[in-house]
Amino acid sequence: MTTSLSTLRSLASLRDFFSSERILICFNGPISRTLISEIGTALKEHIESTRECTTAAMDVFSVYIEISQNIRHYSARNDYVEPESTATVVIAESGDGHYIVSAGNVVEYADGEALQERIAALTALDKTELKALYKQQLRQPRSEGSTSGAGLGLIEVARKSTAPLLCSLDRLEAGRAFFTLRATI
Amino acid sequence: MTQTSGHSGAGADLILAPTQSTPSVAADWRSGRLEMAGESYPENTYEIFDGIISWVQTFLELTDRPLRLELQLSYLNTSSIRAMIDIFDRLEHFVHSGRDISVLWLYNNRNPRSAELGEEFKEDYTFEFDIVAIPD
Repeated sequence: MTTSLSTLRSLASLRDFFSSERILICFNGPISRTLISEIGTALKEHIESTRECTTAAMDVFSVYIEISQNIRHYSARNDYVEPESTATVVIAESGDGHYIVSAGNVVEYADGEALQERIAALTALDKTELKALYKQQLRQPRSEGSTSGAGLGLIEVARKSTAPLLCSLDRLEAGRAFFTLRATI
Repeated sequence: MTQTSGHSGAGADLILAPTQSTPSVAADWRSGRLEMAGESYPENTYEIFDGIISWVQTFLELTDRPLRLELQLSYLNTSSIRAMIDIFDRLEHFVHSGRDISVLWLYNNRNPRSAELGEEFKEDYTFEFDIVAIPD
């Protein structure tokens, strides 16, 4: 009984945390394609209802979809099963009219390092350079894109972002790491 | 989930009902029209686009009639954008040999991102590509 009581108390403090961090929607667990769609639709409708124009809603939705699908594809390609295949996704308001999409997942440490390098390279580019890279990547043979992964989607996320992408890599056991990406829209 | 009338071969129409992550598709062989409407962000684009690409390819190869595309796509994920390029590249190929092909891109006034998406496609092709706003 004490366990369930403390669970309830921590739920209340979790709720306080969500509120103080202006979190709109968050998710932690095994993520399915249906769930991605459901969460995304709820998110889009919520933002649309607060704005005159759908631009913000579409940009947040786009970033959220690309990041979530990248995680799903990566996890499938590496034959991950739970708990490695789970994702942590948080969508919050920044307080100054922006939205923040953060997502984390388990990766092979070397892949995480490569991803950090790619993101660093993207943050050095302005919008015009990002568009040129995007157009170039669109024309790459599909097989090439799927083996390297997170190519076009990541460029799209950078294009929709209003601030440089932030990422971090926390080492785990067995040559793995927890990779986190944060995009401000 | 999807319904196809007839076979995907010559002379057949292609009708796909929309799902949460795929648009509605109506390809009419007799009138030479392909309509797509809605959002497209399936995890695996081949599920929907392979059929559309093969319909377009078959129509262009087996007839010499005009082809009209009417697209009202409010959102495409990057893999759907790549798949649309596969379609547009085929159109461009046939336009070079004098084929009458045009694209009408419709977007909702409240969704300027859809107009920008259309513009980014348009700038890479030479065929007629009209971008028209429709009232909310």
